[in-house]
Amino acid sequence: MARNKYDVDEELHKHFDLNQVKRLSHYIRPYAGKMILSLILRATASAAILLLPIFMQQVIDDYIPMGKLGIPHIVRVSLLSLFLAVYVSIVICIKTKLMFQSGQSIIRDLRADLFDHLQKLPFDYYDSRPHGKIQVRLVNYINNLSDLLSNGIVNTVVDLISLVVIVGYMLYLDWRFTLVCLCGLPILFGVVFLVKKQQRTAWQTASNKQSNLNAYIAESINGIRVTQSFVREEENTGIFNRLSANYRSAWLHAIKYNLILPPSVDFLSVVTTSLVYVIGVQMLRGGSAAMSVGIIVAFTSYISRFWTPITNLGNFYNALLTAIAYLEMIFETIDEPVIVEDREDAVEMPEIQGDVEFRDVCFSYEDGIPVLDHVSLKVEQGQTCAIVGPTGAGKTTIINLISRFYNVNSGGVYVDGINVEAVTIRSLRKQMGVMLQDSFIFSGTIRDNIRYGNLEASDEQVENAARIVCAHSFIEKMEAGYDTYVNERGSRLSVGQRQLISFARALLADPAILILDEATSSIDTETEIALQEGLQQLLKGRTSFIIAHRLSTIQNADVILYVDHGKILERGRHEELLEKKGYYYQLYTAQRQQ
Amino acid sequence: MKPFQWFYSFVKKYQWRLLGGLMLTTIVAALALLTPYLSGAIVTQVIKEGHYERLGWMVALLIGATILRGLLRASFLMVYESTSQNVLYDMRDYVYRRLLQQDFAFYNKNRTGDLMSRQTGDMDAIRHFLAHTMYVTYENVLLFILALVMIFTVNVKLACCMILVLPISALAAAIQFKVVRPVFQRARERFSSLNSFAQENISGNRVVKAFAKEDYEKEKFDKENEGYMEAELAGARLSSIFIPIFEFVSNLLLVVLMLIGGIMVINGEMDIGKMVTVNGYLYMLSNPLRLAGWLVNDVRRLTASLDKIYATIVQEPEIRRPKHAVVKKHLEGCVEFRDVSYQAEDEDIIHHVSFTAEKGQTIGIIGATGAGKSTIVNLICRFYDVTSGQVLVDGIDVRDLDLYQLRDNIGMAMQDIFLFSDTIEGNIAYGNTQCSFEDVVRVAKIANADEFIRNETPDGYDTIVGERGMGLSGGQKQRISLARALLKNPSIIILDDTTSAVDLETESQIQNELEQVQKDTTVFIISHRISSIQHADKILVLEEGRIIEEGSHKQLMEKNGYYAMVCRHQYGDFNPKKKKKTAKSAGRGGKTDGKK
Repeated sequence: MARNKYDVDEELHKHFDLNQVKRLSHYIRPYAGKMILSLILRATASAAILLLPIFMQQVIDDYIPMGKLGIPHIVRVSLLSLFLAVYVSIVICIKTKLMFQSGQSIIRDLRADLFDHLQKLPFDYYDSRPHGKIQVRLVNYINNLSDLLSNGIVNTVVDLISLVVIVGYMLYLDWRFTLVCLCGLPILFGVVFLVKKQQRTAWQTASNKQSNLNAYIAESINGIRVTQSFVREEENTGIFNRLSANYRSAWLHAIKYNLILPPSVDFLSVVTTSLVYVIGVQMLRGGSAAMSVGIIVAFTSYISRFWTPITNLGNFYNALLTAIAYLEMIFETIDEPVIVEDREDAVEMPEIQGDVEFRDVCFSYEDGIPVLDHVSLKVEQGQTCAIVGPTGAGKTTIINLISRFYNVNSGGVYVDGINVEAVTIRSLRKQMGVMLQDSFIFSGTIRDNIRYGNLEASDEQVENAARIVCAHSFIEKMEAGYDTYVNERGSRLSVGQRQLISFARALLADPAILILDEATSSIDTETEIALQEGLQQLLKGRTSFIIAHRLSTIQNADVILYVDHGKILERGRHEELLEKKGYYYQLYTAQRQQ
Repeated sequence: MKPFQWFYSFVKKYQWRLLGGLMLTTIVAALALLTPYLSGAIVTQVIKEGHYERLGWMVALLIGATILRGLLRASFLMVYESTSQNVLYDMRDYVYRRLLQQDFAFYNKNRTGDLMSRQTGDMDAIRHFLAHTMYVTYENVLLFILALVMIFTVNVKLACCMILVLPISALAAAIQFKVVRPVFQRARERFSSLNSFAQENISGNRVVKAFAKEDYEKEKFDKENEGYMEAELAGARLSSIFIPIFEFVSNLLLVVLMLIGGIMVINGEMDIGKMVTVNGYLYMLSNPLRLAGWLVNDVRRLTASLDKIYATIVQEPEIRRPKHAVVKKHLEGCVEFRDVSYQAEDEDIIHHVSFTAEKGQTIGIIGATGAGKSTIVNLICRFYDVTSGQVLVDGIDVRDLDLYQLRDNIGMAMQDIFLFSDTIEGNIAYGNTQCSFEDVVRVAKIANADEFIRNETPDGYDTIVGERGMGLSGGQKQRISLARALLKNPSIIILDDTTSAVDLETESQIQNELEQVQKDTTVFIISHRISSIQHADKILVLEEGRIIEEGSHKQLMEKNGYYAMVCRHQYGDFNPKKKKKTAKSAGRGGKTDGKK
């Protein structure tokens, strides 16, 4: 699997088409009512504002010439205008609220959908790219759509309507001049079409550069300790500035395309106006009966009203094209295949007793490189199964298949005789306690972190779990005990302490099957012994899988599997395996030789 | 220094460019006034009055002026865009450098997602201000003043009447300026919080899946998502109050002109032509007023983001390079702790610790989880400063040494291994990117990593590892991190639990390799395994921040204290009674005669 890093642009495999606009409209639809309402409100407000200059014209043309008699009329239209002004303000108040509400709601929905999907994506997805690049899609890219969604759409509809109205009125005034004006449009479309591809690519590049920069910032912050201890500050600043400069130039390159359209519209506007003057004057001079000064004057005053909505539409188009660069990446993530998902006929996993069986399981992460090769094993309820073998032998893969983090290629994994693929993932994993190699701590209190294993657990249960794993005493010593706030990854805690906390978390889940993947590698011997004692009682009646390098940890296991190259080479109890004098014996004697 | 002054210090560098941009803006504004004037002239002079011969040059002038305006407008927009990007570049650089200087205490307090949003979302608010808000404000103020002057020259009385409505706007703007501030600040906070949550969820995706907590995470995310939306909508609600006020005032101007102007004309105080002229300038007065509400919002968004960024960078790191550092490029590697105590968060981490490590010695450190082992080595690297006492390297207090030179002489493999999403080669060469590939392979061999890199990864040294080394096993990550520390050829090597996930056979191979190549190097090894530290020249046993035992393996075994007890647990043969007990309770006594 190709992995991405911070300074490599992500390739986009999907290309934008109208379907994606349709997809966006799917998000808009729930708020269509609000949008239409604000559309209507905006239209009435626009009409009301158009009335004001007409009233002014009346005052100047009709009422003032009436002298004193005109004053009551002036007062009347002034009051009417005042009333209209109040109306417009009220409408704007409502419209502003509606627009923001719908725009922000659409963004929220889109973000929630993306987040939902991210929760379903497999480990591979997260392992194959910098996390900052996933984050930028979920947070920053979606925010970039907010302008487009809150104001753009309604304004565009209003502009389209006014364009139609104006063209109709222009046709009514003079169809020849209207044709002259409309001639400008193909030229405009030509310009748009010419730059479209570059503009799109430019914005894609800009979004990629933003993503790269974000990825690097995230890594810089997360890896700060390494950076400082290796005195890499200068060099990293250099890399950061290179990425920062790339983003700057990509942005400036892309923005140039957005600057092409407005002056083009202005230019076409002035050229068509001039043409109308020139043609009109020619016809006047030629004494054409079909032309009059009045028509030219009236027509030219409408030309600018024709081009204004087009300028707005051009700006909308720019905004849309910019947004699309982000949108397609968002949709691409939503389309990312979910490899492990509930089958349609999946049922709830009944309460697990703890029999685990692998029947002739083959598995590979990448085609052609088998990781597990026809593995069969059976562990009965309440047994402890230890898995040993060299690094990369497939130990972690075996336990990952029990929780169904991956689907097998052939064969099957059965828990209590039920194929794990036949039940819902949630009901299966809920009954398992997995302690991973990397013990992740969320920012929050220590109590919350332990409780993550079982949200319903009482404080007592939390503390009890902590006691079993011997974490209680050090937690008590912290300034706020269980309520001490720890940062994400628990940087205040030592790795051993973190392991104990995530151990407690796994125990609190009260799992039928407990899986420990190098769970105690950083825990001191004394604590480990105490922990083993507590654990021994806890393991009664539960099936457990243990991966560990310290053989002392696993000698009591009911079954020991020696795994290498994706195959189980030996299996049996400690004494049996020693007598066999095979791989396990070698491993054991090698450790003894220390 | 205030946030805004700090911001200005970045803008200052580009002030002449910005001034040039503003000049262009002024010209464009003037040209914008010219176009309707020309159109008007064509209509009256050419079409109505029949001076057809003037059409040619007037049209030419009109088109010329429009082209010029378009070009100038595009150029000033580019001036603002590029200036804003340059300012942003400089600010990002400044903030980034500052982040790199910050000490561990800072990072223990701040969430990653929060710090990130300083560099992304908050920077965008600054970009928007420089590339957009600034010139729009200028343009509108310009038009507004121009219109005022013109209206005053036309008729003072009318102008005064129209000005009377302005205090409403001014008051509204002042109130808005005040009340939107906390709202936008809150919006920025919610944004940071959303960002932090997203960041943690992505980093912790394995735990989320392992505990099938997807629904719980979604629920929490929905809250964050909703919270951010609500914060933005709170801003929108305020806007929906203030924006209509400005709209009303700008429409009110027209009513004033209609009523007062109309009556003045009828009373003969002003002629009708002047009223028409004022009517023509009215949009120049009312449009800026309409925009005022939005501009106030933009300015407040800027200050909210500036405040946030500034709050992050204003914190001086506690650990700084000394002003008059002792210059010592190469350190010999003697380390001495003189009565060192260290406290954090009112918690005593280290109590009166004293010991010395001579050049070339190996010091083993053992002790319970959380006893302060990592803190001791962190004090050598000066990731923290002592609360009392002194840490000396080559007899010099580490606080007097140049920070970078000190750290340059120390190779550290940390307990909490962080690998970058880069190639394996890039990760090993992190400390010295100039080194040759042979060097990388050499240290990888010492760390016993060469073999698995070549045989078990898809692209060997060119394999890109996931962030934090995802996709590698714990032992593999540890060996890469060890190789990374060795590449620096340091005088002091610190191995903080570096081989805990490595099997014992591999560990002893690594130790043999290390011994051969690092004869003059002072080595600190933190481990829970006796096998890792038993050959050390000196072993320190820590308990709750104190050294409770100190000496060689032999001395400590004779002492029969904590160390001897741990040793017995790990090699159950020393005390048969103990062995039996542990074997019964936890099954760990199996290894007889484990010790050489």
